Amino acid sequence: MKRGLITFLSLWILALSSPLAAEELVIYSGRSDKFIKPAIKQFTQKTGIKVVLHTGSSTALLNKLKLEGKRTSADLYISNDAGNLQKGSELNLFVPMEAKKVAVIPANFRAKDNSWVGLSARARVLVVSTRDKSADFVKSVFDLADPRLKGKLAITHSSNESYIAGATVYLRATGSKAVKSWLSGMKSNVGTSVYNKHSKIVKAVASGRKAIGLVNHYYIYRHLAKKPDAAIRIVMPDQGKAGMGVAWNVAGVAIVKYSSKRKAAEQLVAFMISEAGQKQFTEVNREYPTRPGVPAAANVPKRSSYKIADIPMSELGEYRDATLDIIEAVGMP
Amino acid sequence: MVTRVSTRSVLSTAVVLLASIPLIYVFIYSGQLSIAQWSNLWSARLPGLLFNTLSLAILVTAGSFVLGVSSAWLISRREFVGRRLATWLMILPLTIPTYVFAHIYTSLTESDGWLGLLWTAIFGADVPNPELYNVFGAAFVLSIASFSYVFLLVSDALTRSRIDIEEAARLHGLVPRQVFWKVSLPMLRPAIAAGLALVVLHVLSDFGAVSMLRYQTFTLSIYLQMSGRFDFHAAAGLSLILVALSLTFLILERFFRDRQRYYSAAHAQRSKRRPATKVEHALIWSWLGLITTFAFALPLAWMLVWSWQAWQQSLITKEFWGYVQNSLVISVAAATLATAAALPVALFHARLRNKISQAYLHLASIGFVLPGPVIALGILSFVLSMLPWIYGSMFVLLLAMLIRFLPLAIQAQEASVQQLSPSIEEAGRSLGATPWENLTRIVIPVLRTGLVSAWVLVFIDTLKELPATLLLRPTGFDTLPVRIWVEASEEMLELAAPSALMLMLGTLPVLWFLMRQHDAVTK
Repeated sequence: MKRGLITFLSLWILALSSPLAAEELVIYSGRSDKFIKPAIKQFTQKTGIKVVLHTGSSTALLNKLKLEGKRTSADLYISNDAGNLQKGSELNLFVPMEAKKVAVIPANFRAKDNSWVGLSARARVLVVSTRDKSADFVKSVFDLADPRLKGKLAITHSSNESYIAGATVYLRATGSKAVKSWLSGMKSNVGTSVYNKHSKIVKAVASGRKAIGLVNHYYIYRHLAKKPDAAIRIVMPDQGKAGMGVAWNVAGVAIVKYSSKRKAAEQLVAFMISEAGQKQFTEVNREYPTRPGVPAAANVPKRSSYKIADIPMSELGEYRDATLDIIEAVGMP
Repeated sequence: MVTRVSTRSVLSTAVVLLASIPLIYVFIYSGQLSIAQWSNLWSARLPGLLFNTLSLAILVTAGSFVLGVSSAWLISRREFVGRRLATWLMILPLTIPTYVFAHIYTSLTESDGWLGLLWTAIFGADVPNPELYNVFGAAFVLSIASFSYVFLLVSDALTRSRIDIEEAARLHGLVPRQVFWKVSLPMLRPAIAAGLALVVLHVLSDFGAVSMLRYQTFTLSIYLQMSGRFDFHAAAGLSLILVALSLTFLILERFFRDRQRYYSAAHAQRSKRRPATKVEHALIWSWLGLITTFAFALPLAWMLVWSWQAWQQSLITKEFWGYVQNSLVISVAAATLATAAALPVALFHARLRNKISQAYLHLASIGFVLPGPVIALGILSFVLSMLPWIYGSMFVLLLAMLIRFLPLAIQAQEASVQQLSPSIEEAGRSLGATPWENLTRIVIPVLRTGLVSAWVLVFIDTLKELPATLLLRPTGFDTLPVRIWVEASEEMLELAAPSALMLMLGTLPVLWFLMRQHDAVTK
């Protein structure tokens, strides 16, 4: 009996470790399953191509791609951060797509060589308490360094990718000196108490523990969807003629250089930038579609209603190390 | 006899070589660091990391000491209602991984979590509820997650320790408190030290809890260097320093474990438990109850509540059972493999007991001193450059598990290997048994207890393993810890809870088996 059991177990293990079926696309995904599955499901229904999601942290998956080289089983890479996508391009991990196939997406939302293309965008905005008026003077993200906000400001820890991306936009728009003093000011406002999740920042402002926070726009609407009466409002920073505009960051997709299923991978990209795909991909998380003409979720501020910082998304990768250096030099928690 | 020894030495050499792969890669990568990079690492990172890591280690040591020693002493020195249950309650925290503890307690202490609401109810909304994203939070989580190791070792030592010495002390006029501090505690020192060294090793290599709590220890910093900056060389340099630090504790642990033998007495009168009075009952149960509330009951309640929510929203899908199956597959395979691989090393050491076998033992302990992400990276580099054709299969993951948990398997087997005297085997041979028959009919039956504990311990730890699985799992092969990780980072409580609950349930039967065996030995 024992021997039978052992044979059974080994067969079971062998069966499970067999390679994947040939027609399946493998995506290394740094995006939450919940926000990608609906679009994938629709793609599979339409084309019959099955998709395996290998989910993890964007940076760790990029590392894995780099180490694996041509041994990789990945066909596509999806990340929530343009910085990571650009980093992958610089590491020569992706294969450029034909310009005419991705032309529907504006040039500043994709790589210069089209090795990745942005699918959805998030805006870096302020969440402000409607009860606590002490942060009402804030008009720019740089005001967050004002000592009046000591103990009243909520930000994430500095290894958050949206945080780094935002700082990179400000670095490109204003220069390293401004960003350095901005970070130092915020550091003295928060001490070592930072948040590890954006959703907790929104909660903290809603509960009155903090007066203001720096978040991605959809966290505010996620909270409002659950609690419509929450005492919070959104503020678009750095508007007006002299303002640099709101920092955007995109989630995007790239085709892996060593993919053996490039045709199918291209089909997936084509679907994701089609109107139907764009709607499906962005709607679940209330993000902005990168394709012009596709509307965002109804209650989110219209993209034409505010000024957006004029920084190509590829710079989020090119200047990421510069931003990290400043963050480390300041010693941001 | 000569051929037997050489088979063993060949096999154990192979196992030890396999186990040293990650360390070799750490040397290769860190060897490529320039002097300037080293000195930069040294001045910029080291002081902070050393301070963070050591202060956490000290706090967790203190926490585990208080929780582990007090509970062990009460349970093995007093007879009270529900004593068996209490023993169980003290080891059940082992079924919950550190990252699950971290995740549960961060959500419980939020302003709308159970503890957060309780806090507001008691202190009012003006006093902000305590945050766990600091050294105290990390120390709290790691203490309740690892005091059970101290409990197990100390209660074992207490059961075996010589009660007659304590009685003599009492006859000479010491009051119970003095007996505890002057006699019992000094006798327990080796067990306590071994337990605490084990705790420190866990703290040094912990990845899950510190990364969820964002507390920068060596292990987390190494991971961030690798994944955020693609800087394998700096990561390897930091790993090397961590290895030196961990080795110190590993050697301390071995030292104390060896000394413990002199204190235990096989033939002396075993300890007796004094019946507890009514007042003592109340006191004992309020203390043990307090420990259990935080180390087991609250997390369990949390898992049950959120799993129920998931069930109601029918979030427990076919895929979920796939994750359960994946977890079981890898754990069964790793436990079997590690137990088998540990056997020659343990036997080799038991026979020779010389410098070489000692060195083998230390080399095989690499899984204890290198953090999981580093082991994973070493294996990845090795497989990609040497055995590329197995890349992407389960074997890579299995190899990593084997290396990570080999020391555990060896340690568990050592005690029973010592009972195997050469004369038994020689008797077998002289009666005409082949080496194979000798192995299956004499060696393995004698070693049964050790083999079973090794299997169980590796099974439990593989079931909970996170960092190496994250990097090395075959595409689409998600295990329960990986799912907990993915869902927890998106704050999907309903989705993380059923996985955590399944992990705990999966551990229970094997733990029960281990405890039964443990009882049989200490009775």
